[in-house]
Amino acid sequence: MLITWWYLYLAARSVAEQTLRMASVLQKLITPLFTGTPEPPRNKVTVVGVGQVGMACAVSILLRELADELALVDVLEDKLKGEMMDLQHGSLFLKTPKIVADKDYSVTANSRIVVVTAGVRQQEGESRLNLVQRNVNIFKHIIPQIVRYSPDCIIIVVSNPVDVLTYVTWKLSGLPKHRVIGSGTNLDSARFRFLMADKLGIHSSSFNGWILGEHGDTSVPVWSGTNVAGVSLQTLNPNIGTDFDEENWKETHKMVVDSAYEVIKLKGYTNWAIGLSVADLTESLMRNMNRIHPVSTMVQGMYGIGDEVYLSLPCVLNSGGVASVVNMTLTDEEVAQVQASANALWDIQRDLRDI
Amino acid sequence: MSTQEKLISHVMKEEPIGCRNKVTVVGVGMVGMASAISILLKDLCDELALVDVMEDKLKGEAMDLQHGALFLKTHKIVADKDYSVTANSKVVVVTAGARQQEGESRLNLVQRNVNIFKFIIPNIVKYSPNCILLVVSNPVDILTYVAWKLSGFPRHRVIGSGTNLDSARFRHLMGEKFHLHPASCHGWIIGEHGDSSVAVWSGVNIAGVSLQSLNPKMGADGDSENWKDVHKKVVDGAYEVIKLKGYTSWAIGMSVADLVESIMKNLHKVHPVSTLVQGMHGVKDEVFLSIPCVLGNSGLTDVIHMTLKPEEETQLVKSAETLWGVQKELTL
Repeated sequence: MLITWWYLYLAARSVAEQTLRMASVLQKLITPLFTGTPEPPRNKVTVVGVGQVGMACAVSILLRELADELALVDVLEDKLKGEMMDLQHGSLFLKTPKIVADKDYSVTANSRIVVVTAGVRQQEGESRLNLVQRNVNIFKHIIPQIVRYSPDCIIIVVSNPVDVLTYVTWKLSGLPKHRVIGSGTNLDSARFRFLMADKLGIHSSSFNGWILGEHGDTSVPVWSGTNVAGVSLQTLNPNIGTDFDEENWKETHKMVVDSAYEVIKLKGYTNWAIGLSVADLTESLMRNMNRIHPVSTMVQGMYGIGDEVYLSLPCVLNSGGVASVVNMTLTDEEVAQVQASANALWDIQRDLRDI
Repeated sequence: MSTQEKLISHVMKEEPIGCRNKVTVVGVGMVGMASAISILLKDLCDELALVDVMEDKLKGEAMDLQHGALFLKTHKIVADKDYSVTANSKVVVVTAGARQQEGESRLNLVQRNVNIFKFIIPNIVKYSPNCILLVVSNPVDILTYVAWKLSGFPRHRVIGSGTNLDSARFRHLMGEKFHLHPASCHGWIIGEHGDSSVAVWSGVNIAGVSLQSLNPKMGADGDSENWKDVHKKVVDGAYEVIKLKGYTSWAIGMSVADLVESIMKNLHKVHPVSTLVQGMHGVKDEVFLSIPCVLGNSGLTDVIHMTLKPEEETQLVKSAETLWGVQKELTL
């Protein structure tokens, strides 16, 4: 009995000595000037879901130096911890000093931007719309937690089908519509600009073209807007994008629609392009840039759309979210296509349960 | 006239020069792609080539990167099974080969990866005879030796990613201990990239203040701060991440981009990378181990002579002997 107490005393004394000794080395090296509570992060980004897309978004955001804190959330605890550690091991090369991860959403508190990539993804040949109900159920768990810990955040929804899920997120979050954005056709437009620019031998950023509407099979290429250095391609080739076009530019839009399916068939999933696209949006939001991006926003009342649907239109993004929407001049045919997208999406949305 | 002809008139009479700063990544697994995306996001090259044997995966990865071209400053991203696509590269990053399974040591991978290198290295050399080889595949020290032998390159153009990553992990852990950014915590891990790496305690400092002078027992038994455990965490780092997520990618990718940056931008920065250490620190055999080296656009031009304690030199010699033991059994 006495011996037990003696050993306990020795242990306690050793711990105390260690602490004192450590403290004295730290004291010798560093003199703190400010001992209050540390400042909360000003540019915190959370990524929900550490699958291929989530991690590509995370790495792109880190390497673009957009955040002063990054939080990762997922349900797979080992994978989550592994990904966090792998990123932390690279912290020497980064300018994001705090990278945290947890199953518990408290780790996401005070985020400015929350990127939602969680959910199931398309299998080979599967349409995005097929994923809906499964992902709605996952969102019912995720979205309220996000809002609870970051009531002032902007949510970027990436999970597919992105337009429907952005609507779902808006409903579940109770956030104002300008703070819920879908990554939408930002990626489709990037792919379109790459393919068109490649045909012309110029850089993607020098080719201007917009794809709007559904991020998916019924996206709308606005041929009237395509231009290089302000020279409208449609003026040079009035049949551009139609079935009568000898040069078959329509094929390029088809390649955009098929892109994701093709990459999935070849490597099993897509991640780099969507990651870069999300980092691009994050930059406009974080840096208050007022840049215009085609992203999914609430379009009720525009182009004759009566339902509450989310579709991609050119939006001005700044630190408040979607500041405004650009009224593109669309041809009657393009308006009809946008309305058709809206109807297809509303058909799915009205069947969704419990939101 | 086509739309293109109406829009654009070609005015340059000569042949286009093409790329001047080309990087090739061999192997499009997790490490190869993490290296590729880090290199792309740091704007280090004007052309990126990817090579692998798995054709579908290779094509898919190249397409995925190309789809992000709008957001990047690398205009040309190409990929092929055929090495002709790698011609005229300035730096070739070799990540191809088998990787460690859970619990497996890096040395176990040797013979499998030597056989793969016997195919890869001559192909690289054929199309980029003046390139700098950056070997990442494990066990990196042995494979850097193998790449050097197979390529016939002078030693300043064959570099192993070595302990650049171990040192980064160490500095990260140091940063956590002192609540500082890793860039302000200095510490060098040298020797084998693996279980017998050497932490040079005498060099560990913050703002020039040697931590060993504040804590003379640093790294030894009886050290109240248990710095030895910090080094152990570095050695175990990779195994832990592999156990949790199946592989490591992001940290090594960023580490590779860090090295490629110093080379492409001719920075003359000092990095702990794997080079021929025969004749240094008592090492007699032709082995590659990590020591601090100066990297620039000619490659690895100089090495730094560290003042090591006798125990530290003994550890290096022991590492060298272990590696030589494996190397001399190899058929090249």
